[in-house]
Amino acid sequence: MPSMDFFTAMEVSASGLSAQRTRMNVAASNLANAQTTQVAGGGPYKRRDVVLTSVEVPGTRNTPFAQQVKGVAVSQISQDAAPPRLEYDPGHPQANAQGYVAYPNINPVEEMVDMITASRAYEAGITTMTTAVNMAERALGIGR
Amino acid sequence: MNASSLGPITPPTLTSIAPIEKPARDQLDLGDSFAHALQEAHATEQRSTHATEQFAKGDPGMGIHEVMIASEKASLSLRYATTLKNKALEAYRELMNTQV
Repeated sequence: MPSMDFFTAMEVSASGLSAQRTRMNVAASNLANAQTTQVAGGGPYKRRDVVLTSVEVPGTRNTPFAQQVKGVAVSQISQDAAPPRLEYDPGHPQANAQGYVAYPNINPVEEMVDMITASRAYEAGITTMTTAVNMAERALGIGR
Repeated sequence: MNASSLGPITPPTLTSIAPIEKPARDQLDLGDSFAHALQEAHATEQRSTHATEQFAKGDPGMGIHEVMIASEKASLSLRYATTLKNKALEAYRELMNTQV
């Protein structure tokens, strides 16, 4: 419905918020598992990365330039192929024959940067949303 | 006076009265747009209630921002419908106050 076009910006921002929430979850998972030496499939935890892709926003097919206005979605969560970090700790139950323990390939600083980026992007999405709502409210107030 | 000189009285037939032009259906009048706006407001309100319920039930796919967005949409749609109603009422009152 064209008259509800002010929802388009809200839908797009909403998709961004969901994507950033997933990024936040993944960053939290990476940070929480920075010392995890054993996972179900064997070996240490592998760093996860979010892959984002642009998608068509639902319910905006009849709005102007609908083909050019894209939302965002998480297409997959990939696992980092970088080799694990080896640390010498012969007393550790997961130590190999040479006494090395494989720790996840996670750099906490990198994860913190990712987390802050996700948080800022979330804030930006909320600002977009608030602005779109304010525009709609201003439009409804025309002539009042 | 010759009564036969007067023509017969022909009562107006249904076909002789020009039909009142109805607007084509692709044109919306204010009532239609108000009805649409009200339906939209109702639909968004239901979606908002549903989102709130899902969130309260702990559906992992329902984020807090989705609940807030749904309720904000419902609020905007309702305000849109209310604005249309106010405009229609305003126009009606304006016409009813016409001095004759």
